[in-house]
This record gives sequence, C-alpha cells and structure tokens, in this order.
Amino acid sequence: MKIIIADDSEVIRIIIEKGIKLIGYDALNANNGHKVLELLEKNIKEIALVLLDWNMPGLNGLEVLKTMKGDERFSSIPVLMVSTESEESKISKVYEAGAAGYLAKPFEAEELNNLIKKTLS
Amino acid sequence: MSTILLIDCSPKMTQAVTELLGDNVEIKSTVFEEKMNLSSYSMAILESSDDQKYALQQIRNLRYACNFRDIPIIMVGESFNNAQIQPYIMAGATEALPLDAPPVACRQILQGYMIPGRQPMEEEMKYLNHFIKNTHTVLKKMAKMEVIFKEVYFSNDFRIFGDISGIIGLSGESEGTVVATFYWTLAREIIARMMNVQKDQVNSELIHDGVGEIINMIAGSTKKNLVGTPYHFELSLPSVVVGYGHQIGHPESVSIAVILFEVGHSAFAIQVGIKPD
Repeated sequence: MKIIIADDSEVIRIIIEKGIKLIGYDALNANNGHKVLELLEKNIKEIALVLLDWNMPGLNGLEVLKTMKGDERFSSIPVLMVSTESEESKISKVYEAGAAGYLAKPFEAEELNNLIKKTLS
Repeated sequence: MSTILLIDCSPKMTQAVTELLGDNVEIKSTVFEEKMNLSSYSMAILESSDDQKYALQQIRNLRYACNFRDIPIIMVGESFNNAQIQPYIMAGATEALPLDAPPVACRQILQGYMIPGRQPMEEEMKYLNHFIKNTHTVLKKMAKMEVIFKEVYFSNDFRIFGDISGIIGLSGESEGTVVATFYWTLAREIIARMMNVQKDQVNSELIHDGVGEIINMIAGSTKKNLVGTPYHFELSLPSVVVGYGHQIGHPESVSIAVILFEVGHSAFAIQVGIKPD
C-alpha cells in the first residue's frame, strides 16, 4: 500500500519517505495540493493514508483535506496533517475538517511512524 | 580592556593607530594568515596594500573568521579614493579609513565602532528566548545536532556575511522578519544530517529547500509560543537568498536582534526583527 506525502519541501518529503519505507509503505510525492487530488484520482485503490502539509502554494493542506472529506471517493482515506502550524485554534480546525491526526514540525521520524501505525491499526 | 588586532600593519601605521587610540585599548600586531581567530578582539585593523585583489580576499577571510560576530574590520591606508572604498565595504570591511583625515575624526570613527551592540532588555528576552529554544529543538529533532546559544544583541546596521539565508516574513498583530544565515558548508552538513545521507549527496537545490524549511519550522514553532502576546504573528512562505555578503532588508524602525549559535566548529545567526502590536 502507498502513502501520499504532500509537502512543498523536497527535503521533508525525502525524510518522510525514508521513514515510511521502514514500516512497509511506498510513497507517492506531491509538492502542492492539486497534485494530491491528481494522485488520489489515479491511485485510489492503493492509497492507505495521506500526509498533508498545511502551508503549500496553491491549494493548501486544509483545503485539500476539506475537498477529500467532501468527496465520497476519498472521504474514508485517513489524513494526517504535518505542519509548522501548531496553535490550538489551527489544530482544532484540522480535526473539525476530519483529519485523523496531527503532528507539529519539527518532528522525529519515529514520532511520525508511530502516528501512522496508530492511525492505520 | 578592549583588544585590537593590527594585521599586516607597517610600523608607521601601527604608530599612527596607537597614537589615535592611546592607552584605552590593548593593541596586538600580527601578520595575515588564511585561518585566523578573531573571537577575542574588539576590532581588526588591516593596512591596505597595492594589490587590491589580495586585500579583498584578506577581508573576506577575516569576515569568515568573525563567525558572524559583529567585529569591525577597518581597512586603513594613507588615503583612499571612492572607487577603492566600495569594493572593500562589499567584501566585508566595516570602514575604509584614510589616515590623512583629521586625527580627531579618525579617533571618533574608530571609537564609535568599538561600542558594542545593545543588549536585550528583560521584556525583549521573553520573546527572544522562544526563538533560541526552538532553534535548538529544530536542529536537535530534525538533524540530531546539538546547537549552543552563544550571544544575542541588537543592531540596526549589522551586515550578515554568510552564504545562504532563509527568510520568513511576519505579519498580523506584529510585523517583521526572521532570518537564519549559514555558511554553505554548515548548511550542507545540516541538510545531509536531516536527510540521513552523505554530504556529497546534497545538491544546491536541496540546500536551498532545506534552509527554507528550517526557518519555517523555527518561526512556526515560535508563533505558537507567542499567542496572546503583542509579538504574535502570522507567517509568509519562506524564501531563500544565496551569495557571499548578501544583506537582508528589515522593516524600518524595527530593532534587529542578532542571535548567534555555535554548532561543531561552525556558527550561524538568526536575526529577529519584530515590531509588536
């Protein structure tokens, strides 16, 4: 199964990709929100989870999350938000929009992998 | 007592500087070396040579040797014309001082540069401490690097001579900028450690990207700490500037805090300029 990693930073995508391979997942990479929706359309049956950065150019992470939860094809796919936005009010918005979890940057690979395993268990 | 280092200064120039600064400072003389340690000096004074290309290289080396500390580098000579001065300043000299100027003026200029940057007030440390702590946390968590905070001071005219800066604009209740400036070799090492790869596997694009992400994480995590204070801000998307001697413009009337860190044998600087609500 695959995990979509959406972050406008290539360095962050590489760090996360290395981490998720250790727990048995392959990565599909997106550097903006529109690309996430494209990848979902093309690979819907293989996607186990979506990791979204909040601040991305174009369609941001929260907008992607809302779009996914409003589309019955994608609404059951769990979404984790990984972002520098870490204020309580912002985190509440993420959960209200239907995210399965939230992780603030900076993070250690192990923290993210534990959250992924917990979400998919 | 402040100590001034005279580099490649002739006996005549040494005599002139000693007479200008008198008994208030300790003066040491040395010859230029490619790798010098300036950390214990209040000022470095270099005598200009006929070979301007060599002199510019000397200034660049000395500026790197400052490790981001605001040590004035003064180029002295019998006289300078305007065309000579500009390259010296661009290379990192603080001033090109012609000693044919009136001694009173020369003395005032030199003494002016020896006034250290303003120390932060207790109120200012309340928000600066969050930047210091979060810089430590970002490098520790993402790159497994132990960063040591060295000093902080305010300066409105400090020119940061690094190779690459990550910049993030602040808006909302307060406004300003936060900048992280690194030497290229340290930036490469940090990004390599973040990605868990060898340094030679990290290209320029990854360094640009990673430095942008580092300042994003430092500013982002600090933003949370400042909720409910006059310093709370919203973040812009980060941008990155590359090139020796680049300068960062900050909003007018904002005091810039320069925070210096040491990591291994290198150093880096965070500049914080916030105009509170």
